[in-house]
Amino acid sequence: MSGDALVTIAVSALVLGSLYAVMALGLAVVWSSLGIFNFAHGLFMTLGAYVAWQVAAGAGWGLWPGIVAAVAAAMAVGAVACELLVRPFLGRKDVVLVAVITTLAGATLIENGVLLAWGGRPKQLPPLATGTVNLFGAALSAHEAVIVAITPLILLAVWLFLGRTRLGAALRAVAQNHEAALLMGLPAARLYALAFALAAGLAAIAGIFLGAIRFMSPAMGGDPLLKAMVVVIFGGVARFAGPVVAAYLIGLIEAVSTYAIGLYWTPSVLFLFMIGTLMLRPQGLFGGARR
Amino acid sequence: MTRRGVVIGLAALGLLAALPFVFPVPYLRHIFILAFIYAVVASNWDLSLGYGGIFNFAHVAFFSIGVYGYGILTKLAGWSPWAALAAGGVLATLAAVLVAIPVLRLSGIYIILVTFAFAQLVLQLVVSQSGLTGGMMGMVGLPTFQIPGYNLARDGKLGYYFGALALLVVSTAFLRAFVGSRLGLAIRALRDDPDYAAARGISVARQRILTLAASAFFTGVAGAYYAAYLRIASPDAFGVSLLSLLLSILLLGGLASIYGPVVAALVLTFLSEASVDLGPWRHIAIAVVIIVVVRIWPGGLWSALRRLSS
Repeated sequence: MSGDALVTIAVSALVLGSLYAVMALGLAVVWSSLGIFNFAHGLFMTLGAYVAWQVAAGAGWGLWPGIVAAVAAAMAVGAVACELLVRPFLGRKDVVLVAVITTLAGATLIENGVLLAWGGRPKQLPPLATGTVNLFGAALSAHEAVIVAITPLILLAVWLFLGRTRLGAALRAVAQNHEAALLMGLPAARLYALAFALAAGLAAIAGIFLGAIRFMSPAMGGDPLLKAMVVVIFGGVARFAGPVVAAYLIGLIEAVSTYAIGLYWTPSVLFLFMIGTLMLRPQGLFGGARR
Repeated sequence: MTRRGVVIGLAALGLLAALPFVFPVPYLRHIFILAFIYAVVASNWDLSLGYGGIFNFAHVAFFSIGVYGYGILTKLAGWSPWAALAAGGVLATLAAVLVAIPVLRLSGIYIILVTFAFAQLVLQLVVSQSGLTGGMMGMVGLPTFQIPGYNLARDGKLGYYFGALALLVVSTAFLRAFVGSRLGLAIRALRDDPDYAAARGISVARQRILTLAASAFFTGVAGAYYAAYLRIASPDAFGVSLLSLLLSILLLGGLASIYGPVVAALVLTFLSEASVDLGPWRHIAIAVVIIVVVRIWPGGLWSALRRLSS
């Protein structure tokens, strides 16, 4: 393996890792606070990308208003999805199963809604920055360089929000002990909606990242959701660092595997990896107790 | 089974047997054939999900393994279609035993995730082995069933209609016998109170393997039958739209009832076929039905009807 190839793999791992970190963090926030797995998460990403496209390219108002609109729209849809798809079932014994079913149905709903609103023709978002950047001899697009650079800032912002603000503390309190949080007078329903809105907003940002790299389609969220699922299982949700570190590791594994054994085998490797993690360490690599 | 149940069951069977002669419309038979197949798949899923309480999301993969097993064995290995039909069931059962291994140690959401990952793994393997499976394009022109001197697709698919009906009857009889047996009682006990059941000497590991394996056999056979009938094997067999349809059949029919999913399969396959022209709206309608049913009738329509009649 030449030095060039190593740099190419490293750069590719960083780009993938950034994308997966932003995607997986939202999934982890919802899982740790509500104890459910949200299969509609990929569609928040799709929705974000399409709203951004509509404002930026469709209406021609530029990318930044598009980003703001996309995050706002995704957050609103996220909160509504929580109210309609998850919260009515939270007390039920089979809530884990029901939530899978209702969020899958929600995903179908949003995907076909996007198809009706924007059609099936592939679209592409304008990049966050134009041109190419040279990094240790590997050329990557400026858009990808921006992704790699601002992802740590986004992660830091979420970490500060969860760890340093009263609202973030309330969210963690509901996640750790639902009854105690209720007794302290925390508005659990609104905090759950907040968790969903936060997750959906992050997914929308991931959608904007991806929408300028690949073509957008109503089904574009499916693959990133599966990758984020592998990441969340691998890292566990008990700590903030779990899914973040796991995202970059999975990005690295994917980049190495794509280089060494090809694009077709790589998804199989990742799913084998996920099954292996679940068999040996279901709480995840960095998980303490399981929830 | 009560006497009234026997009478209703036989009457329904008589109606379904007479139907293709009363209404000799091939398209109607086509929808019924699909409905019978989906009924087999959904009611077998009810065994693991409803009775066993195992959140198995690899069930659709068992069906696809039957589909592709049939395609590969008949087209590439030159097996006779009938042998490949049985092999579809055996392959799906073996896959179920494989899935059972990680499932044994896990519970709740982790079972959903590991079985979901297994289904994705099978899909990825199928798509990546394009030399064997045709990749994303799938396989076409699979051989159909023949009995000497007669092709089941003749006379407006009459043979396929009765074949599918027979498959449904045998599978349903098997499922009823299974849930009524000591084994069936044991898996329900494990679902309702795992610790107590284990303390009474029920082996969690053995019951879970047996439940998954039993739920997979006729699912795999149904997959092979589906492939022989439509003469194609495509990655759509893994798709979310089939998963959604089966889930809505299961939910509408109600978990842990066997007959519920069978009735729901007939109703929903008709609604689904009738609404093909609606495009995306059809999927939206199915999704809304799922959410509303889960919200309003948690036990499914079957239990709602039973409560009404009693």
